[in-house]
Amino acid sequence: MTATGTAGTDRARHGTASAGARAAATAYRYGLPALLVAMVAIFSILRPAFGTYANALIVLQSVSVVGVVALGVTVSMTTGGFDLSAGACVGAVVMVTALAMVRFNLTGGTAIVAGLLTGLLVAGVNVLLTVVARVPDLVATLGTMFLFQGLALILTGGQSVAAGMTVDGAPAPGRYTEGFAWLGGGSIGTVPVPVAVFALLALAVYVLLHRSRWGRALYAIGGNAEAARLAGIRVARYRALAYVVSGLCAAVAGIMLSARLGRGDVGAGDPYLLQSVAAALIGYAVLGANRPNAPGTVVGALFIGVMINGMTMLNAPYYAQTFVQGALLVGALVVSYTLTPGRRAAGPGR
Amino acid sequence: MTAPVPPPVVAVSGLARSYGATRALDGVTLEVRPGEIAGLIGANGAGKSTLIKVLSGAVRPSAGTITLDGRPFAPAGPLDAQAAGVQTVHQNIDDGVVFGATVAENLTLDSIARRGGRWFSTPARIRAEAGAVAEAAGLALPLDAPVETLPAGARQQIVIARALARRARLLILDEPTSTLSAAEADALARKVRRAAASGVAVLYVSHRLAEIESLCDRVIVLRDGRVRRVFTAPLRRAAIVEAMLGEFAAPVAPVDAAAPADRAGRRTVGAAVLTAAGVRAAPGGTPFDLDLREGEVLGVTGLLGSGKTGLLQQLGGARPLVSGEMRLCGAPYRPAHPRAAIAAGVAYAAEERSAQAIVPGWSVRAHVTLPTLRAHSRAGLLSRRSETAAARRVSARFGVKGPGAEAPIETLSGGNQQKVVVGRWLEAAPRVLLLDEPFRGVDVGARADIGRVVREAGTMAVVVASSDPQEIVEVADRVLVLHEGSPAGELRAAEATPERLAALMSGGAA
Repeated sequence: MTATGTAGTDRARHGTASAGARAAATAYRYGLPALLVAMVAIFSILRPAFGTYANALIVLQSVSVVGVVALGVTVSMTTGGFDLSAGACVGAVVMVTALAMVRFNLTGGTAIVAGLLTGLLVAGVNVLLTVVARVPDLVATLGTMFLFQGLALILTGGQSVAAGMTVDGAPAPGRYTEGFAWLGGGSIGTVPVPVAVFALLALAVYVLLHRSRWGRALYAIGGNAEAARLAGIRVARYRALAYVVSGLCAAVAGIMLSARLGRGDVGAGDPYLLQSVAAALIGYAVLGANRPNAPGTVVGALFIGVMINGMTMLNAPYYAQTFVQGALLVGALVVSYTLTPGRRAAGPGR
Repeated sequence: MTAPVPPPVVAVSGLARSYGATRALDGVTLEVRPGEIAGLIGANGAGKSTLIKVLSGAVRPSAGTITLDGRPFAPAGPLDAQAAGVQTVHQNIDDGVVFGATVAENLTLDSIARRGGRWFSTPARIRAEAGAVAEAAGLALPLDAPVETLPAGARQQIVIARALARRARLLILDEPTSTLSAAEADALARKVRRAAASGVAVLYVSHRLAEIESLCDRVIVLRDGRVRRVFTAPLRRAAIVEAMLGEFAAPVAPVDAAAPADRAGRRTVGAAVLTAAGVRAAPGGTPFDLDLREGEVLGVTGLLGSGKTGLLQQLGGARPLVSGEMRLCGAPYRPAHPRAAIAAGVAYAAEERSAQAIVPGWSVRAHVTLPTLRAHSRAGLLSRRSETAAARRVSARFGVKGPGAEAPIETLSGGNQQKVVVGRWLEAAPRVLLLDEPFRGVDVGARADIGRVVREAGTMAVVVASSDPQEIVEVADRVLVLHEGSPAGELRAAEATPERLAALMSGGAA
């Protein structure tokens, strides 16, 4: 993601491709990646400090937690589901890992396991509600969201969890272990650990969704669940799988966030739901996919990260960020729902 | 015959409507006179629904004229058509009532929704108004009961009462009895007769022949978007079925054009592959036994609602077995999911292509390999080369014409789409292949291509379900006829003529 001004040449190359319709299709396919590159270029020109390797790592690091959550949300969307509990899951995992180490003086490894189990628990509740009880995904995961936001508060008595906090009149026995903190602040070579984790998970989700038969089955369910069933796909199992992947991704993100914060903040996971959903939805419009997809989600997450970082560097007020993200999301949705070339209106239902 | 004929309420002339390349209506001309109950009948895809949509203002025709009481009628929308006096009761009754509201509220919906209607209403006023509507329609229902607590028949009475409360010149009833009990259907018939006696023209759409026979003065038979025959009472069921299903005189010769008798003699019919004992096509149907033999094509035919699809879906694991038991190659067979059926070697190609087979936007290749993904992957990763080879095999075998394996399946013609979603099941190398209406909406060439491959199916046992006796006669060695969920007869190919099948399908004797 180093900044080079390739957007113009990119457009020109594809623009020469004959008819106007073809150009429109190309613009649709590559519009968002080109816009991302253009944004990087503009920020780099306006603020030379933006276009440095060091700053690129800062952007990527800030994106990695959102990106990992968004990858999970993307998988949950492939079957036509929607995991609204992802943000709450992140928050719950932050609290659980902090409690494990600070309050109960357990090892970093145990905290990681506890965090992942929390992710599975969230997924389990989602599966029970959507697959077994057949509650619509949107409302079911909304319910799960509330449940786990509340559960995180109950576990900690509504307090943040930090080393040295008082528990029953005495200081808490433990603190964040170094190994655990490395997951948030360490680096491999020059690459921060969260960025490496994001890259690895992005690759894994890409292979799952776009190269494996399981991914094909997930998309088949999202496209036409009855056709998928009659083709021999066990729809319930795959819908459960989608939520499990989503829950685990949110748990990994929660572990990284907890490690970076070094404490269990109440409400730490709250911003991640909307940002990750936005990243996944922006991703619909990437490469003409018009469906949830892994590369698109990565571009969407980068989009949000670059935008926020660049605006911060331009001294835009922090309180404008949400609005800009919203505008971005709305723009991407319009592209994906109305400008898709060859998009079919609902056919003549007989 | 010599009595003065009143001018028609509605006269339709040269009405056409196309959806893309499909001509749903292809020059329909008909009229319905005051006080007349005209039956409208036709197989799936004949154009009934489109005709109703045009008359009720939901769809605009691409050509042709309609007059209502002698004046040109070109409604801008359903409300416009209602205001002009065309009242339509659609097939899905629950679209016509508002759940969570009382009977009285439902009866007075129109005055609530009307522009310029009162903006303030009281329960008492609604009740009074509803009472008037109910009395006019002879409706005896508790006005304060919530609509969802009533049986389907009562809900339908509400919808009809509302339709009659509006000034009705033409009353269109679309499959009104499909969810009604026999008693409810009788009550409905009385109501329809009463409406007709008051001078309303009724267009009555149904696939229940007995009902049409007893209720209608005339029957208009629609096929392929045209009026094929008009029968006047007294009506003969077999003739109606014949007109509905097509010209038996002009069969589509399969490539293997041998006479059925020769075919049956030449083909080697082997051991039983699938045996079923005490199964039912539908709950409440008569139980029967069934066996499918190697190299045999069993045709299953019957009208809508005869249980063809139900039977095939039970065999294919797509719905639970109603009763009885099945054995596949001697071993107990009771698939709980299509996956289990496929694993055991039974493939079911579903009836509705777009609802049950097509995944929007997917390529031909992805459609071909969906039921056999495991065979195209190693360690879970799909092999594009293996998938493409499969798509090519299916395309070559069935003569699929189109822009190639990577093109979205929607870019193919309907017939070629059908070849793909039927042909892909051969890739699963099944022992039993169940094809539900494989020829529906398919042109003559595609029909011959699919039929040829079915005939060449080797040692596979094939079941072809179709409501078209001609298709069945072309392809089957043996024919099972179903009528309202029960077997109505079983014929060998040599005995099965379209006429005999049509007679059995309509519930008569062969």
